[in-house]
Amino acid sequence: MGEKSEVLFSLFGVLDVTGEVITMWILLALITVVCLIVRKNLSERPGKFQNMVETGVEYLDKFTSDILGKEKSRKYFCFLASLFVFIITANYSGLIPGMGLTPYAKAPTSSFSVTIALGIIAFVFLQAAGLRCGVKRYFKRFVSPMFFMLPLLVLDEFVKPASLSLRLFGNVFGEETVMEKLYEILPIGAPILMMVLSILFCALQAVVFTMLVSIYLEEVTEEE
Amino acid sequence: MLTQSGLTALAAAIAIAVSTMFPALAQGLTAKAAMESIARQPDAAKDIRSSLIISLAMMEALTIYGLLIAFMLIAKI
Repeated sequence: MGEKSEVLFSLFGVLDVTGEVITMWILLALITVVCLIVRKNLSERPGKFQNMVETGVEYLDKFTSDILGKEKSRKYFCFLASLFVFIITANYSGLIPGMGLTPYAKAPTSSFSVTIALGIIAFVFLQAAGLRCGVKRYFKRFVSPMFFMLPLLVLDEFVKPASLSLRLFGNVFGEETVMEKLYEILPIGAPILMMVLSILFCALQAVVFTMLVSIYLEEVTEEE
Repeated sequence: MLTQSGLTALAAAIAIAVSTMFPALAQGLTAKAAMESIARQPDAAKDIRSSLIISLAMMEALTIYGLLIAFMLIAKI
């Protein structure tokens, strides 16, 4: 779906490294470097940069613990927060002028392969979290309240990652396409209109993805 | 005159038009209800806001499906 990706080179003859993968590697390196810098200069009396990062982490913590509760949020915070940070940086990378127009430079989340991978990761994580809270309870969830709900509930489990990934892909890809079209109309000035909206939408998509995964997680690990 | 590509373009236009119209109506109704309840109970604004965002995102997904179908049809021309 979407446009075909340009293959840069292939690893071991099977794994095609595309422009999106390179962008993703750069973003991951950037996130890692920021984390390392913050960790190295950690102090009791935070500086400007540490303060900023702490505010972000506190905000995320509040966000997940509002949905999951304090205890469970601490347990799963790492996964949810990394999901959020990755998606938001990947979305915002599409806002850098020239992204999507120059070859090989594209926002990673505007490729369906990336978002379906995120969806599959969320799916596996949800199943694992459910199984860890008790195998019996995990299977009981599929036949409650009635036995004939089984096919629907099993289907629901597979629809979740599909809808998560399609939503993210569709939004980001749509934005990128609109921006490209605006660039064709008037190269200087017109894309800014969409970029301003995109600042809101990109953050919203990351929030929605994380929020939905947290809600599904809450459903899966619910105490009786 | 009806040609293959003309029909495809028409189908794409209808797909995106219909799938924006009705979710937009639904989103308007949802936002209206949320605004009213925030006005009535400003204390609960935070909870209402988060549920509002989720439900809007769910409806947005329908539009996105229409958009994807439209893109796929356009690519076929």
